[in-house]
Amino acid sequence: MRILVVEDEPRLQRNLAKALREEGYAVDMAGDGDDGLFKAETYEYDAIVLDVMLPKLDGWELLARLRKTKQTPVLMLTARDSHSDRVRGLDAGADDYLVKPFDLSELFARIRALIRRSAHKTSNTIQIGDIVLDTRARSVTRAGNPVTLTAREFAILEYLAVHRGEVITRAELFEHLFDENDSTLSNLLDVHIFSIRKKLGTDIIATRRGQGYCIER
Amino acid sequence: MLLWIALLLVLILAALDFAAFKIYFANSVAKFDGTLRRRVAEMSVAVFAHGNRNNDSPDAEPGKSDLDKAFLIATAQHLGQVGMEGFYFAAWSGPSVNESANRPDEIPRPQLKDRDTGTYARMRGTFREMYHATENGDLILVGHTLAPEISDANRFAGWLVFGSIVFLGLALSGSWLIIGQALQPVEKIGLTARRIADGNLSERINTEETESELGQLAGVLNSTFARLETAFAQQKQFTADAAHELRTPLAVLITEAQTTLARERGMTDYKDSISASLETVQQMRRLTDSLLELARFDAGQESLRREKVNLATLAEDSLKLVRPLAAQRNLQIRSDLEPMYVFADAGRLSQVVTNFLTNAVRYNRENGEIRIATRLQGDFAVLSVTDTGEGISPADLPRVFERFYRGDKSRSTGGNGLGLSISKAIVEAHGGTIEVASEKGNGTTFTLRLPFRPD
Repeated sequence: MRILVVEDEPRLQRNLAKALREEGYAVDMAGDGDDGLFKAETYEYDAIVLDVMLPKLDGWELLARLRKTKQTPVLMLTARDSHSDRVRGLDAGADDYLVKPFDLSELFARIRALIRRSAHKTSNTIQIGDIVLDTRARSVTRAGNPVTLTAREFAILEYLAVHRGEVITRAELFEHLFDENDSTLSNLLDVHIFSIRKKLGTDIIATRRGQGYCIER
Repeated sequence: MLLWIALLLVLILAALDFAAFKIYFANSVAKFDGTLRRRVAEMSVAVFAHGNRNNDSPDAEPGKSDLDKAFLIATAQHLGQVGMEGFYFAAWSGPSVNESANRPDEIPRPQLKDRDTGTYARMRGTFREMYHATENGDLILVGHTLAPEISDANRFAGWLVFGSIVFLGLALSGSWLIIGQALQPVEKIGLTARRIADGNLSERINTEETESELGQLAGVLNSTFARLETAFAQQKQFTADAAHELRTPLAVLITEAQTTLARERGMTDYKDSISASLETVQQMRRLTDSLLELARFDAGQESLRREKVNLATLAEDSLKLVRPLAAQRNLQIRSDLEPMYVFADAGRLSQVVTNFLTNAVRYNRENGEIRIATRLQGDFAVLSVTDTGEGISPADLPRVFERFYRGDKSRSTGGNGLGLSISKAIVEAHGGTIEVASEKGNGTTFTLRLPFRPD
């Protein structure tokens, strides 16, 4: 899952990126509204964390412009804790709203909920045969036995599981699993898929030659 | 209000009625007095004419006074000429004799002072009497009832009272209407004012339909409300901004700590995290210090330790602080400082000058220039700091002294957005003014003006 953090306070931006990466997300960062809007329109993010007070283009305006083309889930961050601000944020098309200062655990939970909702899922666990993914604990069990996946492997499996039944192209996987700082060597993806199949069974991920990968229903 | 008007009207009307009644009555009595006076004169002439003749005649009847006889004759003669017409007559002989014929006994003898002569009038009940006193103390009296005149006057009084009551009624109802009309806009103003007091600060009194004086009052009230609204809005904005500015570093601290504690880390990570936290806490401390300072200025609690201060020396000291920063950005400093004395708090004032200079460094271009100068302008000592930076856009220019206002809305330049607000508060507490002039692309000049102390 790939997330964009638009925040102008450099230390907060750095902390958020670090924390989200440690949670297994690919994270891009933007320090002002213009940059944020550019990235939000250019890449396919699974969620955007958007500060309201931004230089150049504020969060409201960014959201309004983004909504003309994209429905990426947006979590607004604001230091203003007034009722009218919350209403304004939700009316402007924000999917959720968090007031600074916030707990990271709450931020993570809300981001998970946003991604789940956009994939029309209601639970944090996804079951594929005898394999169970817990997107919250980021753990996998097979027939009740824990299986250890690397963060990358889990991210690939999670993305395919969330979009179960859809054929996901390699480009799409790259887009959602690697942030702008990652070097995207395409054969790396094959290595990760191979490793997942070795741990969870060959038939868990089907390869559609020339199209992409799929976890079948 | 209406009660007072009523009371006043009743008093005025009563006084007027009383005076009118008096004048009317006095007038009718005076008319009557003319007739009486004539009669008394005629009678006197007749009586004394007879009296004189009788004195000469030898067959004077002893025992009866001469006056009585003369009076009887004169009366008869007089009545023969003019008739009774309701008049009655009386005569008294000498100062002490109280006997006379053909006169009502109940008529008391008019009391005369010693040796008074002449004609006098008196009221006796409803009777008007006119009497003439002669030199030897004789009295001739003519009287007539005044009953018709009195009843006339009473009728007149009745009409007066009736008229007054009608007038009072009309006047009071008229006043009530007029007062009601006049008070209506006042009532409206009161209602609006109450609604505004209840919290709807954006409401205004409608000044179109109020009369000129009230319109002026409404205008004054409206502008007061407008200033209040602005003040409240600014206060609200300030509080919201302050909360915002404090919440952001708090968010940094919380995320920093939570990220660091999320898993085991190496010593350098912990060190980095702690120093980042410390930096954030220092930023918060500076911010709270600034907020407190502003709050104290707002409350008028910030006391100035004023003394004679040389602006030039003060500027030199501030320059020393800023020079290393300026050198980092390779900025040239040109100073044109003349000794110039003001009565000021040196510490506070150097805070302002340092703020000007720090801004001039921060917003300058690389290899730019900073000019600082003092000069005398009228009764004011003026200090100005000019940079060669990008300048401030016309839209931002009027707002640079606003609290938390940053032209670029970013925190990247490092200030907390309160420096110029504090500078403004300091200069204004000194009775001076602070100004900014800027042209986009041509740099910015900040100027402070303080009352000059010549000695």
